[in-house]
Amino acid sequence: MFLLLYLFWGLLWMDSNFKRFVEVGRVVLLKTGSSAGKIAVISEIIDHNRAIIDGPTTGVPRQSFPYKHLILTPLALTTLPRGAGSAVIRKLMEKEAVVEKWEKSHWSQKRRALERRRALNDFGRFQVMVAKKQRRDVVRKAVAKAKKAA
Amino acid sequence: MARSKELVHGIGRLSRSQVFAKRGLYKGLKKSEKPAAEAPAEFVEKSVGGAKNGEKRLVPTSKAPRFYPAEDVRQPKKSRKSPKPAKLRSSISPGTVLILLAGRFRGKRVVFLKQLTSGLLLVTGPFKINGVPLRRVNQAYVIATSTKIDLEGLKVDERINDAYFAKATVKGARTAEEEFFEDGKPKAKEPLSESKTTDQKIIDTAVIAAVKKTDSLAKYLRASWGLSKGQYPHQMVF
Amino acid sequence: MQEYQIVGRHLPTESNPTPKIFRMRIFAPNEVVAKSRFWYFLRQLNKVKKANGEIIGVNVISEKRPLRIKNFGIWIRYDSRSGTHNMYKEFRELTRADAVKALYQDMAARHRARFRSIHILRVVEIEKKDDVRRPYIRQLMEPDLKFPLPHRVSKSRSLFVAQRPSTY
Repeated sequence: MFLLLYLFWGLLWMDSNFKRFVEVGRVVLLKTGSSAGKIAVISEIIDHNRAIIDGPTTGVPRQSFPYKHLILTPLALTTLPRGAGSAVIRKLMEKEAVVEKWEKSHWSQKRRALERRRALNDFGRFQVMVAKKQRRDVVRKAVAKAKKAA
Repeated sequence: MARSKELVHGIGRLSRSQVFAKRGLYKGLKKSEKPAAEAPAEFVEKSVGGAKNGEKRLVPTSKAPRFYPAEDVRQPKKSRKSPKPAKLRSSISPGTVLILLAGRFRGKRVVFLKQLTSGLLLVTGPFKINGVPLRRVNQAYVIATSTKIDLEGLKVDERINDAYFAKATVKGARTAEEEFFEDGKPKAKEPLSESKTTDQKIIDTAVIAAVKKTDSLAKYLRASWGLSKGQYPHQMVF
Repeated sequence: MQEYQIVGRHLPTESNPTPKIFRMRIFAPNEVVAKSRFWYFLRQLNKVKKANGEIIGVNVISEKRPLRIKNFGIWIRYDSRSGTHNMYKEFRELTRADAVKALYQDMAARHRARFRSIHILRVVEIEKKDDVRRPYIRQLMEPDLKFPLPHRVSKSRSLFVAQRPSTY
């Protein structure tokens, strides 16, 4: 009976169009709060609005967090049991290299680039502008040359 | 009335003499016995002609005024406060690149040299790079950037102070029109004095030498500053 | 909302030098309200009131494990506009105080009930899944619970964008 239910539950989302779910082990990105911009793992679901998240390797303390203030990422810990403590989560996160995967992802890299751009001072912005101009110049010349040749 | 707490508005807990005693300023007062200056005589005895006039009369030395104001108008209290020169913003120090926001040179990036006694900032373009001469600006109309030029060893002459920038006063009462159209022709522009151009050059050579140490900094100073779409100065880092 | 333990008694008299001591667990936003509620309940239950009684101690009862999810069953007595009702409700929260807070919110939303018209009778943590009566609590206890977050609207800074936003 229970096995059947289990199978049914598994099948329910199998052919779903959705790709990211609120589930135990899902890696989430926090949008607000003191650890905004950090990632954490859902350790247990409270209800339709909140979950307990924890990020022992990313500096996010274990806490209740609303879904409204987080984004689900495509990453997830596959074998996390429900309601696991910080130590277990830390072990699994290290084993599955979640932080490294996240750092390598395009999304995270784009975020970091944006952050770096935002932190530039006036002189830095000017230097970026000059570098972009130079790049544009090279590209345009190459395009013009190729057009001529064609 | 800091010492005597206000009971109601305008009335303190202590009287004037009590406050005086509390403040204890008299302790520092030096008492030297001055010889009492002899008061000038209030009246002068004058002899008057005419038998019925009593021969003599006391006439006051200073005449009482003939006019008294009908109403007792209170004199407004004179303020003894005077404005202090502005404190230099902590983000500004000699060599800081500033962005001018107002005036003829708005949008220019300039180099800060020092604060003058009036509180105004002495800046230079340098003139050769972006055309901004030695100039005084109010720090309220300036954005301080975190970019700094190493001006170690640059000594700004003491002569360059607030008086240095004051305009020479023209003597004689001439109307503006007369002055402008001399002999029916607009007056030729007065050239800048030799000494001022040399002052500019002396300071600028040192500043330009320091600017050249950093790549593309001269280019940066030459370019003017502006905001584009989606840029909000309060959200930006300078 | 916090849970308080209030201890109080009748003032000692000549006829009774050692009056009975009463202890109550009360949910209140602060200590003042907690003491007030203590006297309110005590004078309904016993012949003691604030004028002839004293409070011996007020303590905050804090949750032992505020990071473990629990299912609470709460029994209340509620004075509606037309009569008095008993109710049983279930909440899934982290602390007892949170569950009571959620209860007051829920009662205010569904019945426009005020704080003064609700008596909390019992707050019990439900240990076993079979004891959970409400299906909307039970569904959250499924072992492999997972659900998507459909229709998430992301804000774009520009008015015109090249791609349609994905809402899931």
